[in-house]
Amino acid sequence: MKSKPVRPILAAMMTVTLALSIAACSSNSATKENMPTAAPQAEASPEPQTETKLNAEEPAWKLDTSPVDLTWFVGANWYAHTWGESLASKYVTEKTGVNVKLEVPSGEANEQVTLMMTSGKLPDLISMGSWETAVKKLWEGDHVYALNELADKYDPYFFKVAGDGTLKWYRQENGNTYGVPNDSYSPNLMHETGMTAANQTFLVRKDLYEEMGKPDLSTPEGFLGALQLLKDKYPEYKGQPISPFFAQGNVPYGMTEYLQNLLAVPHEKDGKVYDRITDPDYIAWLKTFRTAYERGLINVDFLVDSDTQVEEKTNNARYFMMIREWTGMSAVNPMLAAGANPDSYYIAVDGPQNSKGESAKLFPGNMDGWMVTMISKSTKNPERAIRFLTYLASEEGQRDLFLGKEGETWDSAGGKPQLKAEFAEMLGSNIEKLEKEYGIMDTYWMMRNPVIVNQWRPEKAPVIKQMEDFANAQADIDSGIYKGLDPLGDSDVAVAWSRISQNWEEVLPELITAKDEAAFDKVFEGFRSRRDSYGFAQVMEYRQTELDARKAKMAE
Amino acid sequence: MFHTRTGQMKALLRQWQLQSMVIPGILWMFIFCYIPMLWLIIAFMDFSIAKPMLESPFVGLKHFRDFLTDDRFWRSIRNTLGMSSIKLVLGFPIPILFALLLNEIRSLRFKRTVQTISYLPHFIAWTIFGGIALNWLGEGGVINQLMMALGLQDRDILFNSEPQYFWWITFFTDTLKETGWSAIIYIAAIAGIDPGLYEAAELDGANRWQRMWHITVQSIRPTIAILFILAVSGILGSNFEQIFMLKNNMNMKMAESLDLYIYNMGLVSGRHSFSTAVLFARSIVALGLLLLANQSSKKLTGDSIF
Repeated sequence: MKSKPVRPILAAMMTVTLALSIAACSSNSATKENMPTAAPQAEASPEPQTETKLNAEEPAWKLDTSPVDLTWFVGANWYAHTWGESLASKYVTEKTGVNVKLEVPSGEANEQVTLMMTSGKLPDLISMGSWETAVKKLWEGDHVYALNELADKYDPYFFKVAGDGTLKWYRQENGNTYGVPNDSYSPNLMHETGMTAANQTFLVRKDLYEEMGKPDLSTPEGFLGALQLLKDKYPEYKGQPISPFFAQGNVPYGMTEYLQNLLAVPHEKDGKVYDRITDPDYIAWLKTFRTAYERGLINVDFLVDSDTQVEEKTNNARYFMMIREWTGMSAVNPMLAAGANPDSYYIAVDGPQNSKGESAKLFPGNMDGWMVTMISKSTKNPERAIRFLTYLASEEGQRDLFLGKEGETWDSAGGKPQLKAEFAEMLGSNIEKLEKEYGIMDTYWMMRNPVIVNQWRPEKAPVIKQMEDFANAQADIDSGIYKGLDPLGDSDVAVAWSRISQNWEEVLPELITAKDEAAFDKVFEGFRSRRDSYGFAQVMEYRQTELDARKAKMAE
Repeated sequence: MFHTRTGQMKALLRQWQLQSMVIPGILWMFIFCYIPMLWLIIAFMDFSIAKPMLESPFVGLKHFRDFLTDDRFWRSIRNTLGMSSIKLVLGFPIPILFALLLNEIRSLRFKRTVQTISYLPHFIAWTIFGGIALNWLGEGGVINQLMMALGLQDRDILFNSEPQYFWWITFFTDTLKETGWSAIIYIAAIAGIDPGLYEAAELDGANRWQRMWHITVQSIRPTIAILFILAVSGILGSNFEQIFMLKNNMNMKMAESLDLYIYNMGLVSGRHSFSTAVLFARSIVALGLLLLANQSSKKLTGDSIF
């Protein structure tokens, strides 16, 4: 009889489970009902028939708008949007019949896709970071369709919208192209529009920086002086200690690549790939950070904090300066500016500079883009998949996903689509609602083409625009070619590079916490000799070959 | 011998309904533990996911040479052994003590409450528990506040940036999270002890300590022995999720366990053959340790797995 109080709970739980399973069943059957009609149709219509209807001037998705489900793997575990709830996604599904099921990896995208490759079952569409090793494996292992072949067969309109430049950029030696990139920028485009997608900035908290009399942070002396002043006069903010410095992405990004770009460390010298880590200016600045640590002016929190801790400090404006992508601040900055201390937001300023006082040379966007989207050979509907991708790549698809539905989220003003004012405002005030309920702007970025969508972006809030303009002005437009020269995968040279870069991640904290300069030099020498024993010479060779190949491709 | 065997068979047949319940478990083990062993062969190949397995070239012991000559591999062995030893020596008795203490509690309600609360953390994923632990250890965290209030330190220490603390951090967080859960098996074993033994001992004038030592501990000795043998064979293993959450660039030299090494050097770059080779070697060592512990336990206590 002891179990008596348990029973009502048990009963309640069972009811909930039952209700859930019924709900699950009914939603399943709803989609399944549609499946049989869609699949046989695709099989029943023999190719010659469809071929007669195909037209290179006309998008082919209009030929078949029967409902079909496509699974779409988005290789970013933080991607939290769904399809089918928001206005834009509903609109697209209604129009094309394609219902997307978004999947995200539970851990690392690379691993998950590798796992799926082993099992031989891949989602219909796959979007993955273009630098990921799994992308190359998908292509080489024949797990994904050659898009040009699919387009020839089902939707020649694809060639019209995919852009010859990007198709050529990703063309493999066998003449096939397997993926379409998003956010791909060609140098010509950047020169033309001044929009460079440069992202790496040096940010300071405006109120502190101005109260301190806008100290010069571009020289080691000025940098240390400002930190000393900060420590003496502003050690706390809202009762919590100030964190003087933050570098995004920890060692490999913030403290290595981004810092080197701020210092305008060259990528090549006289046609030879340059070993940026040994650059004297870079070393001098690492020593500056060491000194700052020794004097207790900075802590090592930026090397150990978890993402949650970083987020908490950022949201409370507890950092004084940061080496950080400004896009990562586009939600926080307006929030800080609207808060109790309206001047406690971040602005981009000149950060560390090289001994010649040159301004930063930031990475711009590049041809590789961000993610590439592919159609897997596991799909039962390659025809619908390529047509859907073509649609999304076209101006119409870009508009439908980026702006939503005409009359509801945008209006035509003088022949040009314009986002309604309320949504432009929501972008600054309640971006979560905008993305969840309407799904417009940057919600579904998997096929985002900056050339098309940037013209529709509303004017950004001044606190964001300041950072963006600053980055654009310092972008080194022609340096996109140097991005990602390092070997990837499981070849010997890639393994050598992986050992070297992982070792560097441990060495850099040692350098900064070294007790004096002699110790610093010793640790650094140790790293260099270890690096050589791991096979650094081959890595440099690989980079050189890769760079030469890219130059040849660009010249085509 | 013959007699007992036919006797066993008969008993087995008589209980076939009950015995058949074990079949799914055996099937599961066969499919997920034994069949995959065939794939150990890729440890001797340059296996590529993109190609069918048998088309990959055989490379003999290349991958074994690769990791045996890597200083980072030996560092990961040291770290794994370090963390496991602390866990084994200090951590192993804790759930036993906990179960014994719990057993002495008279109030059933209180006992149940304590037991439930103590095993709840087990159900929190390491990703979350690790995040909580990082906050405790960070600037302005509970630990720092406590230490400063006690006057043991005068400023915040980033505990997680000091490599020398790492092994202890893993030990304490693991103990905090898993003690209650690990104690369950002992509590179950204690529950199986015949109450008549206690009554008889009480009549003979044994006090509580004597009853605990001579009855409770002696009765659960086989359980302890088996769990100890298994713990020893798992000494080259580590809690990957825990370490993955707590590690960072600054404590890496004490944090990289064998599992993390396999992850960093193998899986991250897609070197499946290399990872398999390391795992293969580890399994062989684990088997050796298991046999050793089993034999010693047999000699010393008479209890063993086989």
